[in-house]
Amino acid sequence: MKRTSVVQTFHAETLIISSVLQIGDSERISARTRAFAVQRQYELFFGPEGEQIFPVLTKPIPRWTSPSPVAARQTLHESPVISVQSVRVLAISSSAIVHIGSTSTAEAEARIKHIRQLAGSESSAPTRGRDL
Amino acid sequence: MNYTVINRHLHVGDIRLVAVASASLFLIGDADAIHLSSAFDTPPESLIIGPFVPLVPTRGEAP
Repeated sequence: MKRTSVVQTFHAETLIISSVLQIGDSERISARTRAFAVQRQYELFFGPEGEQIFPVLTKPIPRWTSPSPVAARQTLHESPVISVQSVRVLAISSSAIVHIGSTSTAEAEARIKHIRQLAGSESSAPTRGRDL
Repeated sequence: MNYTVINRHLHVGDIRLVAVASASLFLIGDADAIHLSSAFDTPPESLIIGPFVPLVPTRGEAP
């Protein structure tokens, strides 16, 4: 048996990239993100750049399986309610989950590869993508 | 072995969060199982100074 969640006021500004805002009970929530973030000093887009071959984006993440419990657990809800006066969130991003209510299983996975590319001291403005 | 959990009254005032990000969970409630994983890769070689060429991993090496 799970408790009831009561929130008087909720305010969120931004929710992006595979994130979940769940109000109410749920059974299973699964969120996945793969981000390949490239920052270049100049605007240059080469199209696909091998996103699928970076191990951080493809390597399986081992999943932990809980061992069988060694103790018999008994949970008593003396109060059936979890109450919160107010919640304010500025941003929810990249497979994050904000959940008001109870759930059975929540899972999320985020994989982010970040590369910054700067021009060398001798190189000036980009030449690629322009008429030569 | 037996153990007992007693959830007594739980009342929270104001919660202010700047950000919930990268496979994180903010939960007001109960849950049975939670699986969260996040991989973030910014190795030293991810700062590239030089000519702008398309990005591909180095051969035979984990980029």
